[in-house]
Amino acid sequence: MRTTTRVVVPIILVVAVSLFVEGHNLPGGGFIAGVLTTTAFVVVYVAFGLDFLERGVLGREVEPGKTPSRDRVVAAYRRLFAVGLALAVGSGLVPLVLGYPFLSQSYVVLEGIPIYHHLEVASALAFDFGVYCVVVGGLLTILSVVGAE
Amino acid sequence: MIAQTSAETVVIAPMLVALVSAVAALLAGRRRRVRSVVALGGVVGYAVAVGALAWTVVLAPDAPGIATYQVGGLAAPFGITLVADALSAFMLSMVATIALASIVFSRRYAAHSGSRTFYYPLCYFLLLGVTGSFLTGDLFNLFVWFEVMLMASYVFVAYYGGPQHTRAAFWYVALNLLASAVFLLGVGGIYAVTGTLNMADLARRLADPAAYGIDPVPVVGLFALLLSVFAIKAGLVPFQFWIPTAYRAAPPPITALLVGATKKVGIYAIVRLSFTVLAGAQIGVSLELPIPGLGVAGDSPLAFVGAALFVMAAASILVGGLGAVGRDSIEGVLAYSSIGQIGFIAIPVAIAATTTSSGLRQVAIVAALVYALNHTLAKGLLFLAVGAVRSATGTSRLAELGGLAGRSPPLAIAFFVGSLALVGIPPLSGFFGKFLVFDAAARAGSAPVLGLLLGGSLLTIAYATRVWNRSFWGARTPAVDEATVDPVQVAVVLALAGAILAVGVGFEPVYRFAELAAEAALDAEGYVEAVDPGGELE
Repeated sequence: MRTTTRVVVPIILVVAVSLFVEGHNLPGGGFIAGVLTTTAFVVVYVAFGLDFLERGVLGREVEPGKTPSRDRVVAAYRRLFAVGLALAVGSGLVPLVLGYPFLSQSYVVLEGIPIYHHLEVASALAFDFGVYCVVVGGLLTILSVVGAE
Repeated sequence: MIAQTSAETVVIAPMLVALVSAVAALLAGRRRRVRSVVALGGVVGYAVAVGALAWTVVLAPDAPGIATYQVGGLAAPFGITLVADALSAFMLSMVATIALASIVFSRRYAAHSGSRTFYYPLCYFLLLGVTGSFLTGDLFNLFVWFEVMLMASYVFVAYYGGPQHTRAAFWYVALNLLASAVFLLGVGGIYAVTGTLNMADLARRLADPAAYGIDPVPVVGLFALLLSVFAIKAGLVPFQFWIPTAYRAAPPPITALLVGATKKVGIYAIVRLSFTVLAGAQIGVSLELPIPGLGVAGDSPLAFVGAALFVMAAASILVGGLGAVGRDSIEGVLAYSSIGQIGFIAIPVAIAATTTSSGLRQVAIVAALVYALNHTLAKGLLFLAVGAVRSATGTSRLAELGGLAGRSPPLAIAFFVGSLALVGIPPLSGFFGKFLVFDAAARAGSAPVLGLLLGGSLLTIAYATRVWNRSFWGARTPAVDEATVDPVQVAVVLALAGAILAVGVGFEPVYRFAELAAEAALDAEGYVEAVDPGGELE
């Protein structure tokens, strides 16, 4: 189980990023990328336990099974949720300031970039990133609170 | 992309204020000072935004009467259109009043309960859902706003987390999930039949189905599905059973908001879809019942809507009135009473749907709107008063209350005004509501309806008197003796009582506003023209 996790988690995260980046032209986007990212976390949780993220990855001292250890992570998840929501709403408000309707989107094509040569930057990416944060933050809060019980 | 002028931005402003307030309240988190500033500032901003909308679109001397907004700059019928006309503005003004009262009242209420971090964000999401429902001009978008509103109200019904709250929330969630599924089914069916979900486009296509090559007959049945969903939201019999438990379980300021805002969304949706969208359709309707003499026939789908509403409204008045007389807590009485009162609002809507005279139709819609306004103010006041009683004495059971009038005269005066408005005594707003409803019924010349309304009114007097006698008069109970009444809460309740009196005394402008709203509801052509759904699908 743990060996599989080590192999699978990076793959899941890369696929999530690719889904996120192409979301405005192809199937994909913030929501589905967020869900996929969460599954990577879930696999880690199931294989290594709920405290592993703090102890093993962030290198903090944690007493196993205590609620405060989890609370710190959960508080971070909640913040992610709120910030993501603010980002999504804020990205909708920007066009309003510039004199366009709420949630208007646009894109810029950048030429002459190394490796890519041709890169399309869509303003929808900001909104999508907000959605991504909301999904990851919300799902992980639910999973770690319910999972701890 | 279409550039937008600031005059059009005013249409979306109330929604943006609610949305930004919700996010700001969420970011404020546990910081107490910031949270209450955001909470108060948000709702004041909301009221200002609604006021600006009502003034620039409807009430100003050179107002256009209707304004639209294309979200994201995508043209109708492909993008989502927001439409503000007099009907939306009237409903929004009503909601803004009760939201202001409810959130100021919550300041003390939310401070004492747990999980208060999420109280205000959810409040604003509830408000956002209600606002969106009133403004949207797209059927699927209406579904989305219903869901936004429901998500927030689910949490509020389960807010205190006790066994009875969990049970109430369970039924509430189960019922509304079913309703959402039915709603989605209806919306999907309408799209399959007509090829559009934009309300203006829908109205245009239904009025002239041959030109668009569609067969509109299934729309009547699909609309019946939607009607049942809206009846659940409004709490009409036979979909009333969730109301008493849910209203008892939610925090009282939220109950005031639910009764004042979300219930009215159901009524608004019925009025908007029946008269703006469906009215132009010419579809023969004939429904034979096994009992001779009972049946529906007409050449407009409205005949069917009217008949269904009549039955539901009549049953609501009886069930609500009779149920309210026997309850043992103030909230119980008020919850049943609101079932009955929604019946009083639905009766004129039904009259408007069945009649063919456009004059009577308008009179009846005005009656429904004025009654809805009165119900929002009076019932909102009474539920907030119950909240004040509960935070002062710790109970709202009639058996444990008594002599409240001597303990806190201002609270008693406000409660008295609210009860009288419910009964319909001049010069309060309730008198005009009742008067207009009776007037519409008399003009329709229907003696059974008049008798029903009279009976319902008598029941109202009976339960209002009973609550007053049991809790405010009589000997003081121990719970009342030890009570300390919160001055802010009493001030809010008194302000609402003042509003009821002001609406009653200065009724002329309110009536004009309601008349404009009724005109807007019936003016399907103006609606289509303003939205301008544009060319055909290729």
